[in-house]
Amino acid sequence: MSKIIAIHSYKGGTGKTLLSVNLAATLAKHGNKVCLFDLDFRAPSLFAILKVESTEYWLNDYLNGSCDINKVLIDLSSKLQMKDKFFVCLANPTTEAIRDICAKDRKWEMRALGRLLSLRNTLMKEQGFDYLVFDTSPGLQYSSINAIVAADLVLVATTGDRSDVNGTRRMLHEIYELFEKKTGLVINKVLDASSKAKMDEMRDKVKVVYHFPLLAVVPCFCEILRAEGNLIFAQDKPDHPFSKILEDLAKKIESDNIK
Amino acid sequence: MKEEMLSKKPLQILEKIKENLEKLNEKMEVMIELQKHGKKETPTVPDASLDVMTLLSMPDHLRKTAMTICRFGRATADEVAQQTNRARAVESAYLNQLVIMGYLKKERKGRKAYFYIDKEVHESR
Repeated sequence: MSKIIAIHSYKGGTGKTLLSVNLAATLAKHGNKVCLFDLDFRAPSLFAILKVESTEYWLNDYLNGSCDINKVLIDLSSKLQMKDKFFVCLANPTTEAIRDICAKDRKWEMRALGRLLSLRNTLMKEQGFDYLVFDTSPGLQYSSINAIVAADLVLVATTGDRSDVNGTRRMLHEIYELFEKKTGLVINKVLDASSKAKMDEMRDKVKVVYHFPLLAVVPCFCEILRAEGNLIFAQDKPDHPFSKILEDLAKKIESDNIK
Repeated sequence: MKEEMLSKKPLQILEKIKENLEKLNEKMEVMIELQKHGKKETPTVPDASLDVMTLLSMPDHLRKTAMTICRFGRATADEVAQQTNRARAVESAYLNQLVIMGYLKKERKGRKAYFYIDKEVHESR
């Protein structure tokens, strides 16, 4: 039941990276061989979150066709105290690299899609990876849409903000539906999450507004903000409610329990 | 024995006729499809790129076919039809239309026709 999971959103700051890192860590904790990809080439962040000092090759190099994917893979298992399970492929955070990726043309993007698609062979079939988790850029742009097309399941992170709800709805119906992608919603930064009445009201609203399955509801946790990106909750605080929510989400994905 | 020998020749002829009919059919399908969806469609754009934004702007019926080729890299109309759950003849027509539009290349090997995304566009940098 191996899968490529892309995590996307309409707006920035909805929690894509937080979800990607913690979902990947949770899946790895369950004994899966996981690789997390930073496909947010315009604002790379995983190198900072995962505190990787330096690397010789970046995902940019793989998509450029100038190196093998194995050169980009970084094994973080021992750093995160997981046995042989957690790998990461990072986007180059230098301004020069970001500028370079912004200037790519359609043909390059088409080849990049081909290279993302071939990861299914090189990493999943040949090297036994169970899950590839793609952290993407927000909104409609090449790197994100490439990731969505290559994925088996797309998780859309969204908040209750008007602008986000409106854009997300349009994106779901005008992009995701066209590609016929299996899609699930994760509502993040939810207030009053302890009130059952409020939660039921929200679930009903989600059903009416989006017509896509709701996979997780993440309350607004001050502890997450306070951690300032220094903790991977799924790993460092396994008993935190946020980690529990991720546990449930990972289980749904593993059991393929998404319509 | 003699009868068997005699029956072989007409069989071969029939085979040949069938083969030719299939080829004709394929050409007809393309013509019908082109008429259905308006023949204003640009005649052969050399090396048009099949990127995701192009996929998004395609009519639904063609996008499904094009996405399948994207995933396979190279496939016959039969293989595409199995994925999309549409008739082989329909996929054959759509694939041929994508060839005419310059998004795909077609190659015949014996009786099979393979459709693929142009390697040169795909590989060269």
